[in-house]
Amino acid sequence: MHAVRNLRLCTKDCLCLFVCPTGATDTETGQIDFAKCIDGCRLCVDACPSHAISLILETYPEPKVKESTIQKALNILLESKVSQEQLCSSVASNSEKATKALATALARSTRILAEDCARESAFMLPQSESVRQFLAELVDKPYGEDFPYDAVKRLLELL
Amino acid sequence: MTSLSSHSPGALAAICSNLAKACEKQYRTEEFQLFNTLEQYFSKHMEQSVGKHLDELTGLIQVDLNETFVTCEQLASEQGDRGTLRALTWGKKVTSIHKSLLTRYAKQGEKLLDNGDLYICEACGFIAISSETPAMCPICKAPASRFSKVQ
Ligand code: SF4
Ligand code: SF4
Repeated sequence: MHAVRNLRLCTKDCLCLFVCPTGATDTETGQIDFAKCIDGCRLCVDACPSHAISLILETYPEPKVKESTIQKALNILLESKVSQEQLCSSVASNSEKATKALATALARSTRILAEDCARESAFMLPQSESVRQFLAELVDKPYGEDFPYDAVKRLLELL
Repeated sequence: MTSLSSHSPGALAAICSNLAKACEKQYRTEEFQLFNTLEQYFSKHMEQSVGKHLDELTGLIQVDLNETFVTCEQLASEQGDRGTLRALTWGKKVTSIHKSLLTRYAKQGEKLLDNGDLYICEACGFIAISSETPAMCPICKAPASRFSKVQ
């Protein structure tokens, strides 16, 4: 486990800098240097008054694959939300003022609901078997020339 | 694992933006960007919707509220799937908000935003019409910082 700093919470009072035994917390980027961070040390986590630092796992346990019945039901809801998003986006691009704003807000909101369905059905954790399977299937798909195959391959290496 | 062939490009876009967000939260910047690249591809290839008017949305929403959410909730509670139940509870509330916004829009039309702007809770999707950033999301209790103004 290594430390990460949430820059939205950090109040720059720097207690983490002087408690860290290795200088891992002192970087130009504001992020903690993974390479210098001691596995599981957590001194900076406890020292930070703003709760801006946490430890994250290098490897997560494999999530349980859900029953196919619930996956299917969530996929139906996902597709329903996605078709609503499409309707809203097309209205947004063909209208103006209040109508455009409302359609834009509805499109973004339905996307969030669609993402929730995707997360709960099978895609909670990026580094999981179901995501790797998903990516492997994408590599084999005959999409057009503009499909970013390289991005999929790189993700398979990273995850 | 459900097969990909059953997913529309729009659904694939949502799967990828969900995974991009998950990577961002784990500070995996490269993976975040790669999933965003995929999301953009699928969003670009989303089917062009035939619908032209927002009032067509009301019917679709009603089907979700009457049937689709109900089926999901039954299965999730049979299987003791708390994560899904939580998401569905919020999702259903947000969907009801969509419905009431559409009702207001049907009455007020372009006057809908005369006295406020649209704000969206990035955590659960709640939408408010307000003259200032809401202090807290009434649905998921996220703080003001999770709201964005829709331009
Ligand atoms: S101790 Fe916490 S608030 Fe202070 S600089 Fe470090 S991370 Fe930021
Ligand atoms: S966990 Fe320990 S080694 Fe790692 S950054 Fe924090 S104080 Fe430094």
